Amino acid sequence: MKRKAKARFAKSGKAVPKHKVLQRARAVGRRVARPVKSLLKKIQQIPIQETHVAEAKFYTGPEVSSWRRPAALPVEHRELPAGYDEDILVMQVRDPWWTHVYWDLRFQTWDECRARYGADFDKAGWTLRAYDISFIKFDGTNAHRFFDTVVDVEARNWYMNLGAPGTSWCLDLGFVLPDGRFVALVRSNVVSLPLDGPSWMTDEEWMIPDDAFRRLYGMSVGLGPNVSSPVGKLWQERLKRDVSSGAVTSMVSSPVGRKGEKLPFWLVVDTELIVYGATEPDAMVSVQGRPVTLRKDGTFTLRFALPDGKQEIPVTARSAKIDETRTITPIVTRKTTRNP
Amino acid sequence: MFKGYLCMVLHGHLPYVRHPEHEDFLEEDWFYEAITETYIPLIAMFERLSDEKVPFRMTMSVTPTLAAMLTDGLLQDRYTRHINKLIELAHKEVERTRWMPAFQRLAVMYLDLFTQARDLFERYHRNLIAAFKRFQDAGNLEIVTCGATHGYFPLMDVSKDSVRAQVRVAKDHYERLFGRKPRGLWLPECGYQPGDDALLKEAGFKYFFTDAHGVLHATPRPKYGVFAPVYCKSGVACFGRDMESSKQVWSSVEGYPGDYAYREFYRDVGFDLDFEYVQPYVHPDGIRINTGIKYYRITGPGNHKEPYDPDAAREKAAEHAGNFMFNREKQIEFLYEMLGRRPIIVSPYDAELYGHWWFEGPMWLEFLIRKLAFDQKTVRMVTPPEYLAENPKNQVVTPSMSSWGWKGYSEVWLQGSNDWIYRHLHKASRVMSDLTRQYPHAEGLKRRALNQSLRELLLAQSSDWAFIMATGTHVPYAHKRTREHLLRFFQLADEVHRDQIDEHFLREVESKDNIFADIDYRVHQ
Repeated sequence: MKRKAKARFAKSGKAVPKHKVLQRARAVGRRVARPVKSLLKKIQQIPIQETHVAEAKFYTGPEVSSWRRPAALPVEHRELPAGYDEDILVMQVRDPWWTHVYWDLRFQTWDECRARYGADFDKAGWTLRAYDISFIKFDGTNAHRFFDTVVDVEARNWYMNLGAPGTSWCLDLGFVLPDGRFVALVRSNVVSLPLDGPSWMTDEEWMIPDDAFRRLYGMSVGLGPNVSSPVGKLWQERLKRDVSSGAVTSMVSSPVGRKGEKLPFWLVVDTELIVYGATEPDAMVSVQGRPVTLRKDGTFTLRFALPDGKQEIPVTARSAKIDETRTITPIVTRKTTRNP
Repeated sequence: MFKGYLCMVLHGHLPYVRHPEHEDFLEEDWFYEAITETYIPLIAMFERLSDEKVPFRMTMSVTPTLAAMLTDGLLQDRYTRHINKLIELAHKEVERTRWMPAFQRLAVMYLDLFTQARDLFERYHRNLIAAFKRFQDAGNLEIVTCGATHGYFPLMDVSKDSVRAQVRVAKDHYERLFGRKPRGLWLPECGYQPGDDALLKEAGFKYFFTDAHGVLHATPRPKYGVFAPVYCKSGVACFGRDMESSKQVWSSVEGYPGDYAYREFYRDVGFDLDFEYVQPYVHPDGIRINTGIKYYRITGPGNHKEPYDPDAAREKAAEHAGNFMFNREKQIEFLYEMLGRRPIIVSPYDAELYGHWWFEGPMWLEFLIRKLAFDQKTVRMVTPPEYLAENPKNQVVTPSMSSWGWKGYSEVWLQGSNDWIYRHLHKASRVMSDLTRQYPHAEGLKRRALNQSLRELLLAQSSDWAFIMATGTHVPYAHKRTREHLLRFFQLADEVHRDQIDEHFLREVESKDNIFADIDYRVHQ
């Protein structure tokens, strides 16, 4: 059995001091920091090419989230609890290499450990032990291999790089005593990491030669039949293309990038013209030859986008009672200059 | 000569957003915009095609949340109010742009579109599900369902009871709305976890879809790549997405929607015009929002935008449809030789891509359908059940865990911004299973409380909340929804346990979260 004791995160390389553990046990309502968040932040920010379309679905205008909307969102003062006082360890697959793990321990579990191991418990290093149990039924002792990751138990969640697509794993959360003994407190569910390329297994009835499969694979992922990479690498190639096209090129050549395009400084000016007036409520009024509906009191208002140039706006009213027509014609000129 | 199949799939989905407690709720606009810009244009297209007897086959998912919103009386009334206001604004715009003919013709175009939308909406008595059903019954449209609230299955692997409930509730809802059993299911976000096919089988489903690598990375190797479906061991068929055709529409670089002649999505009079003037048509709190009246075309990479030219855009859409068809013919001819059997090209897209995001999308689709019907003989449009009837012999494999999200797995829904939700969702799921076990024959008030608990749990599971947290717009809303549904769930669960059900509270959440009127909590097991 091969043992890899190397911690996956430099930041988590030291054991959790005792006072921190106590703090955790008491301050359940507090949201704790997740140490790996900053590591992942960079990756998360890459725009998702395909996501933009789905995102547009939820797009009602720029920067909506930054507005305060007191009337629309009544503040609910209740919050979800930080945990549910149970011994639990759950692992979920993020991709063929990484999993996410969250855990919680009962107060009683802490107390029992402290009672049993005393000062040793306070010095113990909290550890996630990962067992490679691919293709076997795990009985607690028959793992192909295992490795330990020192964790901050307070963080209550962790991203683990298992780094082995196509394998199956489960975890124990526990602590290593000063004499090296590992005390497991809770075991996780079993997860299977997906393959990051095609399977090496073929079946007799549906056999396909490697070369033919490579061409087919190239066609299937949209790279075309004339691909030179070995089969296993093609998926990564496709992913690389996706990410680069989504993140970089789209910023200049599609509607996707323009949403976020911010200029350092800018000015937009436009003009509209309001034409308003009043006459007898039953008169017939037209503006530039088109009839206008009057309000009950005989007033009217029209609003026009005003482009550069000259507008002659004859307003004509014809009385409903006597044979009389009047016309008033405002003439408006707009000229725009720019500096610079 | 007929050499292969094209299966166009539109995934129609919106999360359940319905807030009777507010007169005007910003996030409900997602729904109203999608009705005007996507669902109605698609239905209008189906009507034209069927009136003119153009043969076509489309597959479309209408998720249970979307279907529930489309059949909800309150939202139907609110849509009518919404479209009436838009029509009023369009009238004003026609007048306002009198001295700018390039804009006035666009104002007239929007006035026509909005008026036609209202007419169609009323013609189906405000129930667009009836419209979709009409084309399914006519044999042109295959409607598939989805997880009840679009819960992302791979992150419910420790909550299989919830996956089962998502599937069962969806199936029952579909049967009530469409009057027949659903055959296909669109996995939310195309998220496939090996083994979930058995749950689909249990509910009577015949097929689902995965992204390309779900099939390509299957064990053993798929002999025909994504160009033939595979069967899971459960016997349910799995259709893999073709990347080549997807890329042509989806890709922000090579995709059609970015063409400079097409309409610019991000320029809207809600933002461009004088505040006082647009105020009655934006949010009552004074927040500017998109109205749907957009006057510019993409024009080029910079901020300078030219007025939209509908004729030029239409020509472009026809050209792009021709290009898409030509590429499919070539692809299918090539594959037909290579595989020695007729390939199927599965091209799935978000329905809201068409019309809402890509304004000319429905037009492009209609050109494509007409060209496929009359201008060539190589490619035939097909629905998955038709394909399976004609090609029943397919390889048996175990597809790979996969999704159609960024990077192909679960990272969109499992990252620093949203990973905190799963602790609570999984706990709620365990509590729900306990309740179901403990009270297998609840009646009266307790039964209502249990049914409402399941509604709250399902609503909390919508993948949309995690998605929104990851993308960064409307985040407070996604937090609010996750928190509120979970808090309501735990409150109800606690009351059931203590056998002290607060009927007043129950009635309030029943009226707020009124989705799935006929839900039966016992499906969660």
